[in-house]
Amino acid sequence: MTPKKTLNYAYYPGCSLHASAGEYDLSTRELFKKLNIGLTEVPDWFCCGATPAHNVDELLSLSLCAKNLELAEQVEGDLAVACAACFSRLKTTQHVLSESDVKRRQVEKAIDAPVPLTGNVKHLLDILARDLGLEQLEQAVTKPLAGLKVACYYGCLLTRPTDVPNLDCVEAPTIMEDILKAAGAETVAWSHRMECCGANFTLSRPGVVIQLSHAILDSAKEAGADCIMVACPLCHGNLDIRQKEIEGVYNTEYAMPVFYITQLVGLATGLGADKLGLDALIVNPMPLLKEKQLL
Amino acid sequence: MLLSTETMDVDFVRKVEALSGTSVRRCFQCGKCSAGCPMATFMEHPPNRVVRLLQLGQWQRILAGRSIWYCASCETCSTRCPNKVHLASIMDALRKLSWDAEGPSKESYVQLANRLFLQNIRTYGRQYEMRLAAVFNVKSGQFLKDLMLGPKLISKGKLKMFHQKNKNMIEIEKIFGRIEEMRKNGEAL
Repeated sequence: MTPKKTLNYAYYPGCSLHASAGEYDLSTRELFKKLNIGLTEVPDWFCCGATPAHNVDELLSLSLCAKNLELAEQVEGDLAVACAACFSRLKTTQHVLSESDVKRRQVEKAIDAPVPLTGNVKHLLDILARDLGLEQLEQAVTKPLAGLKVACYYGCLLTRPTDVPNLDCVEAPTIMEDILKAAGAETVAWSHRMECCGANFTLSRPGVVIQLSHAILDSAKEAGADCIMVACPLCHGNLDIRQKEIEGVYNTEYAMPVFYITQLVGLATGLGADKLGLDALIVNPMPLLKEKQLL
Repeated sequence: MLLSTETMDVDFVRKVEALSGTSVRRCFQCGKCSAGCPMATFMEHPPNRVVRLLQLGQWQRILAGRSIWYCASCETCSTRCPNKVHLASIMDALRKLSWDAEGPSKESYVQLANRLFLQNIRTYGRQYEMRLAAVFNVKSGQFLKDLMLGPKLISKGKLKMFHQKNKNMIEIEKIFGRIEEMRKNGEAL
């Protein structure tokens, strides 16, 4: 057996994980504890600005992310990010500011500090698949997710921005499937793994989300998936919280549980439902998990 | 129509190019961006036509329309452009120009949501979803929007009644303030 590496990260949960995606935060902390990976939350982190900030004010968006990168320097280790949108914004900021001296000087003036551009920003998927490694992950699996057919949903932002080396291939990533196979699950091939769910239109124009997320749920069902797995709180909200509404509008039934990656991998490592926040999911996953004898 | 300095409003195009850090002029209208755009069906001008209108000096039509506000920033267009036109950044630049001019766009809900989101950051340092949704409903006059979701979300602990305020709020106010100051002095766009 290869010697255990000590892995320690600064952790940027992002706003959703402290609110509507509390179960993603909980399951991340519990899973990482189980895998002996250290997470230290960045003190006093701010909102990254998400889509609304870069939509209308790039300088503000870059400054908010730069401030967070600066705060993260206080904690030793690479920066671990759970949310796909925060991840994409932080990576984009590093990229834009290393390309443009003008923008970097403006941002440094705005935050009144130099911007650290060399620190590694890593999504949780990257840490599980590469830093820890699939072999180690497989060794930590005590309850393989045998017989569970999962549709891995990447959404838009996990593999972007595209101009910098990133998480995985921009058009045909496999990192989620790799992780789930290590956890003993089956993954399905399906068409909508990278189509947009409607993202933050959930607030302003929910009709958009209903239409786009319907197509995703439909595609997952058609591929024979038992459930969907995501790594982004916004995708989760749209597919899980709005699922009942979508069923009503399209007069159909999915009853398709939507899990966070840390919940499924956590199950495979023997963590109980209470440590994974399974009761916070809107579409009840218990019938499926009991049927597959995973709980 | 031929592209020339007369048909194209070069000053406006340069402004968009400076803000977005990408080329408007390099687009040769293959349409790949619109083919992959998840939001194209909601737009009156799909992404490739937005660029074409820019090339033809008809940017007023873009700023007045809904298209730029119906872009989800998924970056599929930028990923697939064979000419490396970063269209998602062009959309950001156009929204900023429309936003700053308090433009005549018909799309008010998306702009309202953006405004409340940014106000929340300035006030709390972090997003406060409960407040965001509640104020949006009041200000947009849709008092009953998503009301049925509320109790379920609260019982699942997904909507917090109280918000953890960032302890370092002076810092965030300073960042907003310095940016405003730089803009006033003409040091930033």
